[in-house]
Amino acid sequence: MSRISSFEVSRSTRASKVALVGWIVILGVLISVPFWAGRGDMRFLIEFAYYLTLAQMWNLLAGYAGLVSVGQQAFVGLGGYMLFAASVYFGIHPVIAIPIAGVLIALISIPTAFVVFRLRGAYFAIGTWVVAEVFRLLFAQISSLGGGSGMSIPAKIVKEIASGRTERDMLIYFTALVILVAGTAMVYLLMRSKYGLALTAIRDSEPASDSLGVNIFKTKLTIYVASAAVTGVVGALIFLQKLRISPDVAFSLQDWTAAVIFIVVIGGIGTIEGPIIGTLIYFGLRSLLSDYGSIYMIVLGCVAVVMMLWAPKGVWGLITQKFDLQLFPVNRRVTWK
Amino acid sequence: MNTKNNKFDMHGISRRNLMKVLAASSGAAALGLSPSRVFAAKTGKPFKIGFVTPASGPLAIFAEPDQFVLEQVKAATRDGIVIDGTHHPVEIIVKDSQSSSNRAADVAAELILNDEIDIMVAANTPETTNPVADQCEINGIPCVTNDTPWQPHFFGRGGDPKVGFEWTYHFFWGAEDIIGTSLALWEQIPTNKVIGTLWPNDSDGNAFGDPKMGFPPLLKEKGFELVDLGRYQSPSDDFSAYINEFKKQGVEIISGVIPPPDFGTFWSQAGQQGFNPMICTMAKATEFPAAIAPFGDRADGLTVEVWWSPTHPFVSGLTGQTSAELAAEYEAKTGRQWTMPLGFKHSLFEVAIDALKRSEGPGRLESIRDAIASTNYNSIVGPVNFQTGPVPNISKTPLVSGQWRKQGDRLELEIVENSQAPMIAKQAELRSLV
Repeated sequence: MSRISSFEVSRSTRASKVALVGWIVILGVLISVPFWAGRGDMRFLIEFAYYLTLAQMWNLLAGYAGLVSVGQQAFVGLGGYMLFAASVYFGIHPVIAIPIAGVLIALISIPTAFVVFRLRGAYFAIGTWVVAEVFRLLFAQISSLGGGSGMSIPAKIVKEIASGRTERDMLIYFTALVILVAGTAMVYLLMRSKYGLALTAIRDSEPASDSLGVNIFKTKLTIYVASAAVTGVVGALIFLQKLRISPDVAFSLQDWTAAVIFIVVIGGIGTIEGPIIGTLIYFGLRSLLSDYGSIYMIVLGCVAVVMMLWAPKGVWGLITQKFDLQLFPVNRRVTWK
Repeated sequence: MNTKNNKFDMHGISRRNLMKVLAASSGAAALGLSPSRVFAAKTGKPFKIGFVTPASGPLAIFAEPDQFVLEQVKAATRDGIVIDGTHHPVEIIVKDSQSSSNRAADVAAELILNDEIDIMVAANTPETTNPVADQCEINGIPCVTNDTPWQPHFFGRGGDPKVGFEWTYHFFWGAEDIIGTSLALWEQIPTNKVIGTLWPNDSDGNAFGDPKMGFPPLLKEKGFELVDLGRYQSPSDDFSAYINEFKKQGVEIISGVIPPPDFGTFWSQAGQQGFNPMICTMAKATEFPAAIAPFGDRADGLTVEVWWSPTHPFVSGLTGQTSAELAAEYEAKTGRQWTMPLGFKHSLFEVAIDALKRSEGPGRLESIRDAIASTNYNSIVGPVNFQTGPVPNISKTPLVSGQWRKQGDRLELEIVENSQAPMIAKQAELRSLV
């Protein structure tokens, strides 16, 4: 008896406790940004926030649940179109339209899940892509939303978001920050809950987890719907920033999925820290190289190939190999006494 | 508050901007400008022009003349712009839209928020001009665009003809011009008047194929029989269904507005399947010699709308060159054949610099906007005046039609129809393709 009770299961470490303080400090700084930074810096941070949230959502699907989707642009595009439809045709305040888009997309993602969950592995990936293409072609036929030509959100609606330009910038910035923090917190809490355990089990072996009583379908569906809803919310935010939407850009594989996969793979798949590092690297490369046109894309491709060959766990994987670190404590550790 | 802002400006100078300033000053030294000339007037803040262009991606062919035009503009403004005795240097910041309207919106916002430009210019298709103009309208930045037919630009952005826009101005021709010149072109030679159309489901295709504002009603009025199989989704790699239908209906004229890769596919498949119309007038795709050269003899005789050519009887207010001189200098310097965007890119900067000259100075955005609004300028593409357009904020430029002729190993574009713009001389008569 005494031998069995001589170990302890813990999640937080000293590093993770220090990191928690760090995250709170960073959050405090981010909250203070609108009061001292320029409009350009705020716009940059909004873009950073939406790419990071997209990356967390793709990582939740692929890294934790093993659902490798290449069709997340479906939900980004739907979110954008919902925002335009709600604000232009129903007169809903654009910032309020953002969460509404999330709820509607969660509902749309349920029947979608029943279709794509019939497929596995590479077939699932292609299936999600097909779903996104179907949505793209569908929206190209809806002429009240601009059809294939696309539409702009009228300047009047955007100006009515808040009393002035500064207030508008602030409101959108804080909306982006809330989405980022809520998205990341959702992943963190999901992974610490029983869903986290179930997911890890499913990812490693479906038959084994099934035999242990894990409800595979329900678990996967929950993750898929949650990630679709948040991705849709981000999509609404993105197109509030872009002011213009058309099927090709709303359902762009390159912008909303390929770039996000790059971020997660470079940063470290299956961790919450990975997407954060990946987004930093992606934005760093972009600010250095984006003026070089196609050379920029070639460099991104090379970096991705090199990382996959030599460091498949990404930059965060390299760091945890050297130092036993966890800034978001989701794994359980066994300590023998 | 003021000192805080200044402090911020100091931090705002990026290394890249610093390099640009250094390069510009060493360039001025290399040109042999005497210090007395540069410092003749008081030197003030620079005018910053933001320029968004599809330098890479599927629309890159439109951006071919950019480098040449930018060098010309730099040379023409090396003494800066003098306003009330103060000399303001001109700085142009170029951003690549990568042919994506997502990216165009981003770089436009970057130019507005980070570079704090005084005026925005952008060109080439709704994918570039619409998102850029949208960002300017919201952020209150004066903006001049061209090279998008005015309906997809104005109505595509939800423009209201009664109100117009506050900050964004655009000059180009419209659907009515291309319909007018095309119809007059097709009536030049006897055909059975059965016309097949290729209109994709995009901004241009939807505007041209619109059942009220586009080609269809006027075609019917003029006694043409229309074979329209609906908007196709571009890019497409199979036009067999279209070609079969065109053959079945005895189509002798082909028209549309399609991207170069689609035209390549369509024209090759038409050749393989033995479909040989008498006239092929394809906007967008056959505007560029580089895009049609691969067809060899099958490019000879294609027709297209012409918005600018070396024979257009206009003179640049910036360099004093005629259209022919501008095209000749371009060909001599770059070794490439002239293309229509050359004139329009040149005119874009002409109009912007004319407005800056009449403004109250850098940072005085309202005065720059008002200067654009009151533009009355003779550019290399014709007169530009935003007060006389069909709707507010728009100025129309003349449009004619031309036909590609093989001359030696080069394809030359000759003007064959000028009913909409008689000041541009006709050079030849339309010939049938077969």
